[in-house]
Amino acid sequence: MKPSAPIKLVGQLLDLPIIDRDGNYSGIVDDIELTGSAGKETRIAALLVGPGAYRGRMPKWAMWLVRKLAGDRITRVPIGEFASIDSAVHLKGSADRLGLHRSEDAARAWIPRKGAM
Amino acid sequence: MNPLELTLGIMTAVGGFVDISELVFAGKAGSTFGYALIWVFVFSTVGIMVFGEMSGRVAAVAKQPVFNLMRHRLGLKLGIVTLIASLIANLITCAAEVGGVALILNYLTDAPYMLMAIVSTAVLMASMWVLPFKWIERAYGLLGLFMVTFAVALVAIHPPWHQVAGGLVPHAPAGLSTREMLNFAYFMVAIVSAVMFPYEAYFYSSGGIEEDWGPKDLPMNRISCTVGFGLGSLLAISILASSAQLFGPINVDPQLPGTTALEAATPYGKIGLVLALLGMLFAVGGAAIETCMANAYSIAQFFGWEWGRHRKPWEAPRFTIAWIVLFLAALGIILTGVDPMKLVEFAILFSILVLPLTYLPLLLLAGDKSYMREHVNGVVGKTLGWFYFAVVTAAALAALPLFLLTSGGQG
Repeated sequence: MKPSAPIKLVGQLLDLPIIDRDGNYSGIVDDIELTGSAGKETRIAALLVGPGAYRGRMPKWAMWLVRKLAGDRITRVPIGEFASIDSAVHLKGSADRLGLHRSEDAARAWIPRKGAM
Repeated sequence: MNPLELTLGIMTAVGGFVDISELVFAGKAGSTFGYALIWVFVFSTVGIMVFGEMSGRVAAVAKQPVFNLMRHRLGLKLGIVTLIASLIANLITCAAEVGGVALILNYLTDAPYMLMAIVSTAVLMASMWVLPFKWIERAYGLLGLFMVTFAVALVAIHPPWHQVAGGLVPHAPAGLSTREMLNFAYFMVAIVSAVMFPYEAYFYSSGGIEEDWGPKDLPMNRISCTVGFGLGSLLAISILASSAQLFGPINVDPQLPGTTALEAATPYGKIGLVLALLGMLFAVGGAAIETCMANAYSIAQFFGWEWGRHRKPWEAPRFTIAWIVLFLAALGIILTGVDPMKLVEFAILFSILVLPLTYLPLLLLAGDKSYMREHVNGVVGKTLGWFYFAVVTAAALAALPLFLLTSGGQG
């Protein structure tokens, strides 16, 4: 591997499900925002969630398709919101407060609230 | 371990084991090759026991269903390839199941097939809307126990038990021509695919999360998989053996589920026929729901949506929209007029191509100590898992050439 090649520093976090404090699924870690610069300490600043965060991880033609189908929305979850990380990223707060349930709420408007046990 | 829960779990696994592909291929396998393919059913059933147990264990210990962790393990690009491939395979399978239910309703009521497809889809969707997960699973699984009629009918026609037992020994019939040998190989691949369908692992692991399994449920998971799937497989083998005795000697090829149902009519007349058709109706209807839910689970888990039918439909709205759209898409395929038995063949073919992509991440996850801790795969699980992974990979490589060479098992 060349010294300039990317290293999977964030492989442990990427693509993990995100669960809020109420146990609700709230998206997937689609990308990670880092702070720091060359020669300095690098730290995770936030998780990026949403189809817009696929950029850089998918071929251009696939990204075009994703944009057409799902838009390019990105929601930022600051590191201070993490409670713990195991087989999922658990949040301290609710997904609604962080704006992670906007699409879910929009879809909910289409579903009648009757008839189910 | 609650004995009632355990019994219900086993009975559900038995009733829910058989689907339209197994019905069709078990009947055809018996009429074409006698008892010689029984061992392939047994061999594949051990495979689905191994991977079923593994997917349930991953769900119980890691508390995440397979598709959630699959994306983390495979990454976005390969994950999307797996998602799309399994969506196509499961959608074709779901359409085949809906077509199967419509055919059986057509036999029972004499109403037009297309109308029955619409009615059955509406009823299946309504039951998914109204009933919570546990009730859906139990209702279709337990009503599918009418399939036991096939096992009872087999005993009643007094098959040559020594020949049936001989079918348990791995072999190919002697004296087959090259063409017949290729056909035999295609049936082997088709049976492996039908028994180890990819939707089963997705559905089973997601079901574990729906029912809030934890490490305490691991013994129940193991017993349900081994005893339930084992007894379920006996029903498929009963269909094969009856077909070998009743249809093989008179050169009847049971292409349709209705012909297979006649196995129960031979010893028990009209009552046997109706009970067999009812068993098939609920078993295939349950499989239609399982395939549709498996697809909706996969999409929702891949994108991190709320999911599950332990929640009300409006509590997991995108998941709800996904299963409604998928059911309508399956119905749409049937309404094009495509022969549901052709769909069964395509479902078998496409599913075997997807199987390695389905089972590799599961195998990696179940062997990952960071997720599974002390419940990580042991020597037996690891050995069996990799052995069956090699088998499904070989079957996937052979499937398309065999399908083309034998015109889909037509010889």
